Amino acid sequence: MKRVPAGLILLALLTAWPGGAAAQPAHTGPMPSGRPEPEAFRRREAYLARRDEAVRWRAAQTPLATAGLADLAARLALRQDAAGVSARLIEVLRTPAGDMFWMFPATCIAYLGRDQLTVEAKAALREAWRTYHPLRGDTENHWVMYYTSMLLMAQLWPGEPGDRWFNGKSSDEIAAEARTWLRHWMDLTTTVGQGEYDCTHYIGEYLIPMLYLSVWAQDPEMRQRGRMMIDYILADFAVDSLQGMYVGAHARTDDKTVLERWNGLSSFFAWLCFGNTVPPANYGGWGMFFALVADHYEVPEIIHRIATDRTGSYLNRERKRTRHRWRHSDVRNAPVYKTTWVGPDYAVGSDQGGLLQPIQQHSWGLTWAVPDPRGVHNTIFANQPFYGAEELMMYFTEMPDWMPASVTFQGKPTYTSEAKLLGGSPYEEIFQQDDTVIALHRIAPDAPFVQLNGFFSKDLARTEEDPSGWIFAQGGRAYLAFRPLAAYEWLPLEAGGRRLRSPHARNGVILQPASVADFSSWEAFKAAVRALPLEVRLDPVPRVAFTTLRGRRVECAYGEFPRVDGRTVDRAAEWKLFAGPYLNAEVGSRRLELTHGRLTRVLDFNTLTITDAVRP
Amino acid sequence: MRVSGRYFFAGVLALAAVLTGRAAEAPRHDLHLLVNLSGPGSGIIGRAGPARSGLYRSADRATFEHVGPHHIRMFHLTHDLRDARVVYVAALDGLLRSPDRGRTWRITTSWDMTEGKAVAFDPAEPAHLYLGLPDGIAFSPDGGGTWERRQTGITRAYTNALVVDRTRAGRVLAGCELGIHLSEDAARTWRRVRPTTKVTYDLRQSPHDPRAFVAATSADGLLASADGGETWRELPGIGRERTLHNIVYDPAAPGRLVLCGWGIGVQVSEDGGATWADRSAGLPRREVWSVAVDPDFPGRLYAAPFQEDVYASDDLGRTWRPLSFGKTTVFAFGFLPRSAP
Repeated sequence: MKRVPAGLILLALLTAWPGGAAAQPAHTGPMPSGRPEPEAFRRREAYLARRDEAVRWRAAQTPLATAGLADLAARLALRQDAAGVSARLIEVLRTPAGDMFWMFPATCIAYLGRDQLTVEAKAALREAWRTYHPLRGDTENHWVMYYTSMLLMAQLWPGEPGDRWFNGKSSDEIAAEARTWLRHWMDLTTTVGQGEYDCTHYIGEYLIPMLYLSVWAQDPEMRQRGRMMIDYILADFAVDSLQGMYVGAHARTDDKTVLERWNGLSSFFAWLCFGNTVPPANYGGWGMFFALVADHYEVPEIIHRIATDRTGSYLNRERKRTRHRWRHSDVRNAPVYKTTWVGPDYAVGSDQGGLLQPIQQHSWGLTWAVPDPRGVHNTIFANQPFYGAEELMMYFTEMPDWMPASVTFQGKPTYTSEAKLLGGSPYEEIFQQDDTVIALHRIAPDAPFVQLNGFFSKDLARTEEDPSGWIFAQGGRAYLAFRPLAAYEWLPLEAGGRRLRSPHARNGVILQPASVADFSSWEAFKAAVRALPLEVRLDPVPRVAFTTLRGRRVECAYGEFPRVDGRTVDRAAEWKLFAGPYLNAEVGSRRLELTHGRLTRVLDFNTLTITDAVRP
Repeated sequence: MRVSGRYFFAGVLALAAVLTGRAAEAPRHDLHLLVNLSGPGSGIIGRAGPARSGLYRSADRATFEHVGPHHIRMFHLTHDLRDARVVYVAALDGLLRSPDRGRTWRITTSWDMTEGKAVAFDPAEPAHLYLGLPDGIAFSPDGGGTWERRQTGITRAYTNALVVDRTRAGRVLAGCELGIHLSEDAARTWRRVRPTTKVTYDLRQSPHDPRAFVAATSADGLLASADGGETWRELPGIGRERTLHNIVYDPAAPGRLVLCGWGIGVQVSEDGGATWADRSAGLPRREVWSVAVDPDFPGRLYAAPFQEDVYASDDLGRTWRPLSFGKTTVFAFGFLPRSAP
């Protein structure tokens, strides 16, 4: 008998098992052009190809013997090895964990496996929903995942009594409660804004449940609501994106994405739905659970175009709300006023400052366009580093003293650091006019850190400290003029670049950017900024009067309404739910109008209708 | 969890104390603890580990049985005054009710009443149940079957403590964000009887004198009332610098109070709060989440330092011994009357 070399056997085994070394072609491949695809069938074809790439990658990642819920779901989506998946599922369900992060994968598997799983696997699933008690959670994304899963599973196993469910409620009770909560959340979102708005990661925790609702809810109302909410959230993302990067202020982002603007789960959705960027590693992790069912969703042309087909720059204003406030506030959900300016070379966005969200708020920043965003810190911003039990007590119901330290052990390691670049501050007020930002700080002497931090990227093309007090820099095709209002020092950053630290209680920053194309030279830009009328006073409160490159005279004083060209700006009266060239909605309307060129789409939650129109 | 193994020796000592006559009779109550384990295998919301947090019960004060779901945020418990087998736990998910000593559970509240912090029955109207919530107060006329909001008159309605006056039906005191509130009509209307700058975390009625109440606050010190909660005064010797978590009366000793909090350790008073003795020396840290007096073992205290073992003392805190659990946070202790299994 001829002896087969061991290397050949190993090669054969590796060939037979596609896992481990499976590539992520889109993640490692070249940047897509980002141009809009006018042909509907090509858009759809490309979308489905991207979806297929992600699902096939996931299905091939892990041997069945060690597969987790995502791996099993991917195999079910591809209708692979139902018997093997069933057997492994029974094993996995012996140790359920993850609360609502277990619920929606389990829901996905239950539905994908309806005609594939064995009787025994279905029984194991059923039993898990009786014996495992997932927590409801303490934030809005938790509740969206929880109640969507509860609704769908109660629907899958209807008419069952309370002793068949972990919470002791009957299928009917569960479905009724879930439906009521989901309607309540959609109503809040479409009248006074989303609570965890514009999140670079948590966008997934909203889109995934809404997709499941749109596909699997038996109740046509809930299906329609799910579909409309996907459009709503995706349109909100599209309008605040540049090359697929989520720009401007976020209710929540993280230490990585706040610097490397592309590297968040939101970019997975940009890749999948708009095709205008590359996906993060592992297709964004949780994003896989959207991809598995993504063939049931068709990205509306108008949203695709808002994301990819812009003519010139635009200003978009939005009203959102804070998460639920439990303490230290007279209102349950305070309004958030957002402004985002987007041009071809850069985007600038902000909120009004203050403690609008706990821990992971990003209040303002500029993101510049780059040929390839991978590894690039294409942003400039400043923040007032703050942490404290007061903030956490406002948004969580826990006892006060242990919370700040405990946050640092829960995936937010920089929360209590003076070098932090994430988080809001009660000592910060921000105003944005077009692409100019003025942030003022009046920091209490007993604040955790009496300073502000400015982020200066390793990827800035140049930086110059000008005798005028301006710091001039260039990022991509954006010229940047950054004006600290008080003395500062430079400190190195571990991630690269430098931190501007200004240790003064009365403080502030002005950011005045411009496109490289708008000036004949770097020197011309600097000269133009130096010539702009600017008055700064720090006592008794920070006060700035500044005429922008666009010729607007902006006056800001800490604790007062801003003024533009002599007119007082009252954001409470002026900010709509959405206002801009692409998205418009009145506060309280439950109605979002999307516009792009001749196309319009109206998402009307009053009538649960989606109305498309084309202007002649 | 290997609760009896790790501290076997301490358990044996405790058991010996029980058997050798500190209390000749069997305990009349079971000790209950609402536990968030924080050692190996623990987790956070959305990332739970295998270590089983939630409700633990001990009949012998040495070994502990996990009861009910693995749940990392259970804050307060009580029982049906007519049937001690019926247990209620205020938790992140709402108010959980077990009709059978923790074998089966039902969440009695819906999505609009969650993160319960305190639960109390009215001794004079034993079907009437009150629930303190981070956004107000809920009332159930039928032991949790149905619920309605009852918080008229309270601004900033965060409610962490509730006590129903055992001498009069429908007379309820609530510890809220901006003060202690009193209702005399079963929570339909409230008036503030003591303003505070921050939350009142605990509120108790004396087992010896029904006119006497004490309140532990976040920033307003330790408060006492001698007239049924109508007026309050700050007790000396504690101060306002630390968050006070827990204040308890000793049912066996009039005048004895035991207090704990963040940074103050365990404090014991023998004179109704006029003077205090620091009894924290044998504890691993002064951040003590909760404290309890055992109604069946005179002089026995329990203390739960933050993310440490649960500790027991048989000499009112002069010496302490680790009891069980390793690293844990105990949100509350409870002594429920022993009932038929």
